[in-house]
Order: sequence, then structure tokens, then C-alpha cells
Amino acid sequence: MTLGGFAGTVLVVDLTRGVITKEPLDPALARDFIGGLGLTVKLAYESLEPGTDALAPENPIVLGAGALVGTDLPASSRLFSITKLPTSGTIGWCGAGGVTFACMLKNAGYDHIVVKGRADRPVYLEIIDDRVALRDASPLWGLGVSATCEALWKDYERPAGVVAIGQGGEKLVKFSMAYVDRIATLGRGGFGAVMGSKNLKAIVARGTRGVLVADRKGYKTLKKTIFERMRAYPHLKEWQEMGLINSFPFVERDTYLNIKKRRVACVSCPIGCKDVVEIKDGEFKGQVVCSSSAINLFTPVIYGMKDYRQAIKLIADLDEYGLDMFEFMGLMVFAKALTENGLIPRDKAEPKIAIESLASMEAWASKIARREGLGDVLADGFPGAIEAFGDKAEELAPALVKGMHPYAGPGAALPWHLFGSMELGQVLDPRGPHVGSSGSPTYFARRPLEVFPGQLDRMGVPEDEIEAILPKGDKGEIAGLKVGGLLRHSHRWFAVLGSLGVCARAQINRFYSASFCAEAYEAVTGIETPVSALRERADRAWTLLRLANLREGFEREREEVLPHKWFGDRGFQDYVSEKPLTVEETEQMIDDYYREWDWDPETGMPTRQALDRLGLKGLE
Amino acid sequence: MSKYRILTDDAKCTGCLRCQLACSQAYQKSFNPSAARIRIDFLGADCAIRFTEDCVACGLCADNCLYGALEKSEEGGAS
Repeated sequence: MTLGGFAGTVLVVDLTRGVITKEPLDPALARDFIGGLGLTVKLAYESLEPGTDALAPENPIVLGAGALVGTDLPASSRLFSITKLPTSGTIGWCGAGGVTFACMLKNAGYDHIVVKGRADRPVYLEIIDDRVALRDASPLWGLGVSATCEALWKDYERPAGVVAIGQGGEKLVKFSMAYVDRIATLGRGGFGAVMGSKNLKAIVARGTRGVLVADRKGYKTLKKTIFERMRAYPHLKEWQEMGLINSFPFVERDTYLNIKKRRVACVSCPIGCKDVVEIKDGEFKGQVVCSSSAINLFTPVIYGMKDYRQAIKLIADLDEYGLDMFEFMGLMVFAKALTENGLIPRDKAEPKIAIESLASMEAWASKIARREGLGDVLADGFPGAIEAFGDKAEELAPALVKGMHPYAGPGAALPWHLFGSMELGQVLDPRGPHVGSSGSPTYFARRPLEVFPGQLDRMGVPEDEIEAILPKGDKGEIAGLKVGGLLRHSHRWFAVLGSLGVCARAQINRFYSASFCAEAYEAVTGIETPVSALRERADRAWTLLRLANLREGFEREREEVLPHKWFGDRGFQDYVSEKPLTVEETEQMIDDYYREWDWDPETGMPTRQALDRLGLKGLE
Repeated sequence: MSKYRILTDDAKCTGCLRCQLACSQAYQKSFNPSAARIRIDFLGADCAIRFTEDCVACGLCADNCLYGALEKSEEGGAS
């Protein structure tokens, strides 16, 4: 059976033996797991041996681009990966705006890549249509992310897509990431270190085969519908002009517009959330910086850095090393506290850790990326530092989930206090603390309840379930929010979008509805897909991701506990009443979430009925 | 098919390639940026828009540009 949308081939790369094989995509698996995120989960589940060390050669990296990737439906360019992440030890989905990489991978003729083993020397994977080979990466080893991308683009020319790591990944820094086309981040939690452990510096893809649509007439009608919806959206220009600064006004509008050089979009995206800025004055005048978003560039300002130009310079350094800025900033605040409390001897904390000082932060970024001195300890993230400095260190640590720093919540980079699905999702996402699956697919933090019913309806949530999530008061007004139920639907919607290959950002997924997704998937692939089937396939993929993590021992009782620092006077507040959140309330939310998924409330294990229903029988 | 004058503004281009996707789908029946009659060249941090010799200035690329980097006017010929 030939499917539209899919390229039809899975690349299997054995780095240890230096052997590359091309396997035909199984059409039944493609249908049952949709593609993209869903099929990546399935391929990873089959490839992963439970209990494998994240940095061992046996830990596979599976990458995937969904069936809609390469078409011109809005922002259908997402790249997903599954691997075991070294900081959390979870089997984590990693997602990035595919920039040109995901589109080029499909154009080269591949839907997925399974990378196994470890090369005996630095290599990069070259994918140019039929030509797939491992190439010597010794000249690239030691280079930063953008330097690596630039070097590869010299040889392969854009729009070749590149996934690359910096020095942080090479040195197995546990909060290193990979970057797509130097500008989109892939894999908070140590995806960069997994690539580094395999001596895999980069993957470059470029193709000329094209992506075919099964039902061109049907597709044309659907595209017209969504295109008109985009054109009619009154805030489109606003988002295009300001990007994510529109929702996180960390700096004055004029400050942003002064440095804005241009916006960068992933293939087919109507918003273009990525930024190129140019510093206009001061010490770094003329420096041009690419970033996954301007809001990232200003993050050090939230932590106390006074000069936004210095903040931009620091984030540019971290991006070049390939380090996760949220984890870096949180870790430096922690290391400073350890020093002030005498747990780190002052002579080891040289230069002095000063969050507001660019010189200090740049020095520490370098020491961590190169694992020099105390930087070698900090490179292992919060778990490494706590192990090195003992129980007292743990008391000084910020709220942690699965060894990582949740970046939304009291005391975090995004310091809001209302507890919705974005916030609970930092605990219940199988990968560890991340808001990608739980926030913007559904809502944006602090949105009024009145906007929720429309959003949920668009996501395909049945009316009776919407009423259960948003119970009404005596006068018919929305009087509450069931966060657990909302999160269940957010995770399903994220699995739908991710498996199609569509960006889940609120600014994008607002153009999509569940029924549109089902129709678009059917038109592109030719696979009959009523909405109910799309929902079931997404549930199958998310449940299998859950099972992959249960296999690693992440049961409810042991792992899905909210940090105690989230409670109390300075902790989270109930989304509606704004009263301090209680442990009992959050336990109830987790119960609700499990019940909605038909998972055992004690263990978080999907029930036998749930597995039977999803065709996952025998995996309990 | 009517011909237009296609006006370009490189500074507004985000590199989304919607123009190349629409063009290749219309003329090659496949979403294939490498087969499009319009090309976006990535030059460092900048983008540059150009047309291949077989471009007929049908205006489809401009219809699909959401950033104002491509616009069509009634006078013929790509520019």
C-alpha cells in the first residue's frame, strides 16, 4: 500500500558497526500510531531495552517527522525524537520546530531515523536523497552549535536542515540540548549528551523527492479553509510583529523593536516565532544573534541581570555551547546559595558566582560546557550537585521534578502562581518538567475561564466532558476548573498535533480543530480517519509513552509527587479561587487525570481494559 | 493564467518557504521546494528572494505569503 504524506522509509543507523539500512515503513503501524510523535514512540518502545543507561550505546535515538510535514498546512514542520534522557532518566519526547530539517528529511525520502550504538570517532550523518552516509566529524568536534551549522551549510547549502550539538553535548553535560538549524532547541533533559555519547555531532538532511498528497482536491479545499481562517485572524500581524514577546512582555515593546532584525519561521509557519536580533549599542554593538525566541534572550534579566544586551550575549553563549538556559540559570542560583552557605568552598567557586554579572556567568557557562573544576560537578545538573554536596544542599535546591527545574511556577523563570494544566503537566508529562504538552495546546496561563469551552470544543472534547471540566455555579456561570480532566485532554490534543507534525503553540493550534486534523490527515495520507479514530490513535501513542516510562519504574507513588516548595504562602494558588493550593487538591487532580485515562489510581498503570481497547494488550 | 508583476521585500521574508511549497504543488503536483520556480536563498541571517527562468508570474507565491514579502500587482513580470 502506498500512502500519501509519508515518505515510506525508516533509516536505521548502527553507529557501532557503521552500517545504515533503509527499511520500508509499515503502513499498518503508520495508521495505528498516526506518524510523527506517535510512530516515534512506537519505534522507540521497540528499540529500547528497559533499564539501559541513557548515555550507553544501547540507548537509541529515534527521530520522526509526521505525515503532514512537508505540506503547506500551517506550521506542519515539527521534528520529534524519543530517547532516554540522562537528567530525568525518563523516556522523553523531545520536540523542536523543524525549521527546514523535518521538511528536508521528508523530501530526502525518510519519515524516521533510528540511531543505535556508538561511533568509535566523531561522525555526522549525511542524508542527501538516496545518499546516506556517516562522515568524519573531527573538524567539527569542539565547535559550537552555529559554527557547526555554518560549516555544514558551506558544504551542503541551505535549505539543508541540520541537527547539531555544541561543546556541552560533546562533554555529556546532562542539560545539553541539540539544535535544529542552530535556532530551534531539541531535548531539554540532556538530548545533546545522548548525541555526544554516541560521538554523533550532527545530522544533515536535504532532499528533492517531494511530498505527495493522496487526495489533492480534498486537500485544496481544506487548505483554503484554514488559509482563510489565518487571514481572518485579527491578531496575526501582531504576533508576526512581536512574536512571543507579545505574551511575555519581559522588556518594553520599543526595546524589542529596536533590536529586532527579522523573524524566522519554520517551514510553512504563519507566525515565525524565532528571532534574529542585532545589538545596536554598547559593548556588543553590531552582534547579530539568532534565537528560538527573543523571550529566551531576555531570561537572564528575570534572574537579575541589569543590562538586556548582556543578557542577550549570555544566552547566545549558552546556545553556542548547546546548554539549556533554564537549567543553567536555576543551577547557578543554586550554586551561589551553596557557596554562601559554605557547602561549596569559596576557592572552588572561582570566579565568584554572580548572577547579575555577565563575566561571571560566561565563565561558568564555559566551565560547565568544558567540565572544568566545579563546572564538572555542575555539568551533572541538580542531581549531580546534590550528590556532591549532600542533604543540606537538597534543602537549598529549588523545586525539582525528576531531577530537573520546572520553569513555570513560584521561584522559577516564569513566576506565575495560578495552577492549571500547564503547571500540573510539569509533573505528569512522562518526560519530566516541561510545559509543551500541557500548556499552549490548551490555554495560556492566567487565561479567563470563559475562553476555555471554545478551546475544548475545537480540541474535540465532547460537550458533557467540557461541562465536567468546567462545572457551573447556580447562575450558570463557570465556577470551577478540573485541572486533571483538562490535562488529560491537553495531552491527547498534543499527541494528535505532534503525530501529524503540527506545532502545538497556542498561536498555531488555534487554527486547527480535531475534525480538521482528521480530514487533513485523511486527505494527505489516504487513510480513512474519522475523528474518533484519530483520538484513539493519539491515546494509543500517549499510553505507550506512559508504558515506556512505567517500564523504567516511574510509577505514581514514587515519581509523581509535587515539590513541597510549590505549596504554602508563596506557593501555587488554585486557578479559580486563588487560595493557596493544598496537597489534597493536587492529589485529587492526579486521581482525576488517571481516571480520565483509565489508569490505575494507585500505580498509574493503564488498566487491562484500557490496553485492550487501544490494541496494546499484553503490555501491562 | 494571468500574469502579474511580483514585488518582493527580502527584509520581510521569514524563510517559511510557503511560496516554494505552493509553487511546486501547483506545477509539479508535489510539495517539493527544490522544484519551485521561486527560491529563497538563506544568506547568513538574511533571506533573498529570486525566481527561476520558468516562472510565469502567476502570483500564487504572493497569494501564499503571509508576511508581505511577496505581493502582486497587475503589471506583468516578476521582479
